[in-house]
Amino acid sequence: MANVLIDGLKERISNAIKINQSIGILLPGSNYSDLLQALFEYMSSQPEDVWVYVTITKPYETLAKEFEFIEESKHITFIDCISRAAGITKTYPNCIYIESPTMLEKLGLEVMNVFKEVNNERRKYLVIDSLSNLMIYNDPDIVTEFFYHITNRTRARNIHTISLAIEEEGMDKYLNRLIYLNDKILKVRDSFI
Amino acid sequence: MSKEEFISTGIEKLDALLEGGAPKGYAVLILGTPGSSIEILSKQLATTGKVLYFTTEETETEVLATMKRFGWSNKDIRIVDIASRYSETILSGEEKRVSVYEQRSKIKLKELIEIGSSGTPPIQKGGEDFLAILSNEIKNTSSEKIIINSLDFFLNQYTQEEVIRTIQAAKICNIQNKGVLFMTMTRGIHGDIFERKMEGLADCVLELEVLQKGSTFERFLAVKKMKNYAKKIGIARYAIDSDGFILEMIERIM
Amino acid sequence: MQESEFQKKEICKTGIEELDVMLGGGIPIGSTVLVVGSSGSGKTTLCMQFLINGAKQGERGVFFTITEPLFKLTKNMEGFEFYDKKLIESGMVNLIDLRIISERLGLDTEKYTVEDASALLDILRDIADELNVKRLIIDSITALCYRLQTPEMIRDFIFKLGSSLAAMKCTTLLTSEVPPRKFQYSQYGIEEFISDGIFFLGDIERKGDLIRTFQIVKMRGAAHSRTKSAMSISSKNGIELAPLLRSRE
Repeated sequence: MANVLIDGLKERISNAIKINQSIGILLPGSNYSDLLQALFEYMSSQPEDVWVYVTITKPYETLAKEFEFIEESKHITFIDCISRAAGITKTYPNCIYIESPTMLEKLGLEVMNVFKEVNNERRKYLVIDSLSNLMIYNDPDIVTEFFYHITNRTRARNIHTISLAIEEEGMDKYLNRLIYLNDKILKVRDSFI
Repeated sequence: MSKEEFISTGIEKLDALLEGGAPKGYAVLILGTPGSSIEILSKQLATTGKVLYFTTEETETEVLATMKRFGWSNKDIRIVDIASRYSETILSGEEKRVSVYEQRSKIKLKELIEIGSSGTPPIQKGGEDFLAILSNEIKNTSSEKIIINSLDFFLNQYTQEEVIRTIQAAKICNIQNKGVLFMTMTRGIHGDIFERKMEGLADCVLELEVLQKGSTFERFLAVKKMKNYAKKIGIARYAIDSDGFILEMIERIM
Repeated sequence: MQESEFQKKEICKTGIEELDVMLGGGIPIGSTVLVVGSSGSGKTTLCMQFLINGAKQGERGVFFTITEPLFKLTKNMEGFEFYDKKLIESGMVNLIDLRIISERLGLDTEKYTVEDASALLDILRDIADELNVKRLIIDSITALCYRLQTPEMIRDFIFKLGSSLAAMKCTTLLTSEVPPRKFQYSQYGIEEFISDGIFFLGDIERKGDLIRTFQIVKMRGAAHSRTKSAMSISSKNGIELAPLLRSRE
């Protein structure tokens, strides 16, 4: 059952990205791990492409343990915004650490720095996991400003963005607004079709 | 007291004041106030014996000219002319602060840049190490009389600690040579504590003083300290004529 | 087309990408810029990066340190990837301890006379000339002003220094120490009026975190941005600027 879901998710993501520059993925908390699996499996299947994965949800260490192939994937660079703030001091080679989830300008800088060094022929993707978590640590207006800011820059450089948002009862109006700024929204449901 | 124990100072009356002369191996500190003519005394001391003479305030030519003027013999004297060497490298040692431009023009720009880039303050870089010259000459000498006129110069160029260390080393060489080491120093300008340290370091301390009494000046030479010879402490009045120092005995303590 | 080419030659690029963009290309050649900030704000790093970037472009530079001894300066800089020792060794970047030079010149450590100030000015000019530098740093001008004592002497000194260096087409950064969280550009209130430019390194608090900020307060001769930037200092890239998110400031 899970595999069908994941394969389905992979396909939807793949299709959405091909056509749209920016996609937003709205999902219930219960589907979070499934989505991650789908996403990572998809990412690792495209080694010619360059991926930057920004995590404000799980420390890199945790992700690396869950998905062992991550460490070998040279085409995926992680930007971990929470390990340091949580007091985790370990470093890993393909992970960039940001002191705190409030340092949004720094985050923007690091994201663009990674892509600066990339050959223009390769396709570039940015994943933000997640906008909801950004809202936990920052005021909504700042997150909004940040989002506009980063999407402006990624659009200018032909970088595709995938933003995640966890759906909750009475979802935050800001989050709602933000996620709909994307070109395409994917809603994940247990029984999706 | 056998004559062999002492070295003649070169001034008969002074030998008498010291009851024989300067004991062999002794370091003699000569303290003087300005105007007390310690520089004449230091030259007169160079008239007998094999002498190594360090001159920091006058050139060799000037020293010899003065000695000639007084009719003194300079047959066995080796003069180390630090004064000339110093004025060759930097300024002549004036106590007053010279204008900054003058000082600067004596140091080459390239050298200044190098000094500033190396990050560590240099010690007499671009100039000679005069304290080292003093040290080495004394180490290598066999002279029975070493005269340093004066320590003031070294105290202006180096720290007091460095000068004391050099004097201590000089003392040791002097003892080995069984000679006598004379050092002149101006009183009242290097600090009480340092003066006391030097007085402690020296085996014998001679002090020259000029006092104004009414319309005349009276000059006194005091033997302030004489290690192991307590009864030699005494004072003499002195004057200087065309032949040099003339001493008049006044009193002894004891 | 010709005009912009002419303009290009007259610009001193800092080499810090976003800063050059904010300056409309770079600092006009020969300008004197005050780099203001409290201790630890990144003034020294910025100035050093400016020099090193210039050296990489073939422009010689000199860094005069007064506040910190040379060995400390180099120790702090060695942690940065941009710090290339070979540039120092080859003489493209010269580090000079001004305190040692002052000592050799017989300058007092507390007070300068008019003559002293003249001599110091001369030596700075002569060294810049001798080394043929196009970029010059004094870290910090505050320490010099302390010794210059009166407003007239300070004004005179900075003005004359600026003029001579401008004539040499040498672009100068002077660091200015100010207390943290105070909105002032210098200790003595004079330096900012004589300078052609002012870069202000500050910080803002966001949710308990201190975010470094950078702003061009003035830059004569350049159409510069007035926006405040967030500044990041990393050992990998040195100083980087990004537009500050303005909400909730």
